[in-house]
Amino acid sequence: MSIIQVRDIKKVYNKDQVPVHALNGVDLDINEGEFTAIVGPSGSGKTTLLNIIGGLDEPTEGKVKIHGTDMFSLKERELIDFRLHHIGFVFQAYNLIPVLTAKENIAFILQMQGRPQKECNQRSMELLKMVGLEDKVDKRPAELSGGQQQRVAVARALASKPDFVLADEPTANLDSASTANLLDMMLRLNEEESITFIFSTHDQRVVERARRVVTLVDGKVDSDEQRTSNIEQGTSN
Amino acid sequence: MKFWSIIKLSWKNVWRNKHRSGVVIIAVVLGTWAGIFSTGLMNGLSSQYITNQLNISVSHLQVHHPKYNEENLPRYFIPNADSVLNEIQRYDFVSSASARSVVQGLAASATNTYGVTAKGVVLEQDTLVSELYSYIQEGENLSLDARNPILIGDDLAKRLKLELRSRLVVNFQDVEGNLTGGAFRVAGIFDTPNSSFDETQVFVNREDLNRLLGRDQTVHEIAIMVDNFKNADIYRDSLAQTSTLQFQSWGDVSPSLRYTDSSLDLALYIFMVIIAIALSFGIVNTMLMAVLERTQELGMLMAIGVNRLRTFSMIMLETLFLTMVGVPFGMLLSWITIEWVSEVGIDLSAFAEGLEDYGMSTMIYPELPEGYFVNIGLLMLVATLFAAIYPSIKALRLNPVQAIRKV
Repeated sequence: MSIIQVRDIKKVYNKDQVPVHALNGVDLDINEGEFTAIVGPSGSGKTTLLNIIGGLDEPTEGKVKIHGTDMFSLKERELIDFRLHHIGFVFQAYNLIPVLTAKENIAFILQMQGRPQKECNQRSMELLKMVGLEDKVDKRPAELSGGQQQRVAVARALASKPDFVLADEPTANLDSASTANLLDMMLRLNEEESITFIFSTHDQRVVERARRVVTLVDGKVDSDEQRTSNIEQGTSN
Repeated sequence: MKFWSIIKLSWKNVWRNKHRSGVVIIAVVLGTWAGIFSTGLMNGLSSQYITNQLNISVSHLQVHHPKYNEENLPRYFIPNADSVLNEIQRYDFVSSASARSVVQGLAASATNTYGVTAKGVVLEQDTLVSELYSYIQEGENLSLDARNPILIGDDLAKRLKLELRSRLVVNFQDVEGNLTGGAFRVAGIFDTPNSSFDETQVFVNREDLNRLLGRDQTVHEIAIMVDNFKNADIYRDSLAQTSTLQFQSWGDVSPSLRYTDSSLDLALYIFMVIIAIALSFGIVNTMLMAVLERTQELGMLMAIGVNRLRTFSMIMLETLFLTMVGVPFGMLLSWITIEWVSEVGIDLSAFAEGLEDYGMSTMIYPELPEGYFVNIGLLMLVATLFAAIYPSIKALRLNPVQAIRKV
């Protein structure tokens, strides 16, 4: 079932000066439970596409529907609220809040949703256990390795039980071992919890383990490759 | 729950950079302290000035013949002054009253002359309305036993080259308008905080002056002290109700004093506002740094769904917390300082000449009513919150996409 429908998305930067066409009419459907990598050379529009799907950037033309909701017909306040409840974000630089512990970073999203404190604590603990960091509950980001921080970031993205998780170059700052661990974890969550992941990447190790690989070239979908199974490949690393 | 999380996050953010927050808090403490203490100092200076003027020369209320203030002639004396004085003293709010005869004259020593106001007083009455007699630096007070004793100020003594027991001739008009005069002996020399007063006012026994005026019971002025000088206008109206005499409050007698008193609050608050504005610029700078330094984090918060109101509130709250820590300490420090200095005083005798020209004491005792502490604290709070608006708006205007990518 298609949860994201991207239709004829165009994005032009610097329209009034020297226009840069970041996206030139992208059509894409993402189904529930997919583990999709968006790849392509630098400047192909990967991050722009992710930002538009995440409602962080507005397309010059075209529509993005999430579960049938046209995201860009929402008012700004509604769009922010939509992101809070429906989309999980994982950033390249982890972007955890440095003054909060691992648990507090995860609970923060739930608190912003107005969930009771007890539920926030319970869910944060569950998620930390899920990403294998139950022993790092009270550690602040500075006390965690890059890989551990990114695991907390994934847990934070999952806190609100979003429709999908967007990850922009999630392994770009990680070493090989941390990358492998993170991918194992994300694939496991995708398999066991049916969590939909969409991520942009340059990293061949990530591409190899994606179930679906969408290649962008010059702001257009150049290829869209479906793979049947990669669990075995992933666990072999 | 949502807002409580923002409050908690803001509080933690305050302590993220302890050095910087410490510097801001110290700036708030010192700003508050400097503002309150210097306000207390100015207030003390002004209050002492007003009190000195009232207690030494102006008194709280004055009564004259209706025409006396127009022409200042000896013939405009108060008729039946004794009964008027008795009547006045019956009012509960009247603490003391003194009936004086007053003339404008020319004082002449062996070397020089100078224009003076000579006041004839009954010492027992006048010591109750004027503190002048406690400022006698040399010699002694007026005495009925001595022949024509006179009290003069140290500045007049210098000008006319007079010493104790020197002879001083004062010429003036009598009640009939004839030129008259008398020779007096300097019995005492006073030195009040007001050099102008010391140069122009001389005091003699009323009996001696009236003899020269040619009328025994002459009284030109009744000086009155009341329980609270701030109520002088009300008391004036109350006393004047059944009389044809002219009753004046201290503010009527000395409009410049009234202006000093009434404009003091305004001057103090303007002074505080200037300090608050200076402090605000420091806060703007610090909070702007805090926002710019956390661009990526703020972008992330906006991306994951923290709305603009909460982002704005977070920065405002951080400033509020910094202020809330700093202002009470500043208030406490200034209260301690004012309490201590109000006991020991600040000795400005190095500037005595300049201060006395303006009628001010050389020992300053700061004082500040409690209400000022609260108002100044609130003013600092408002100023710092006002200062936080620009950095908060700056945070609001961040584009999450660009902010997250900023290194």
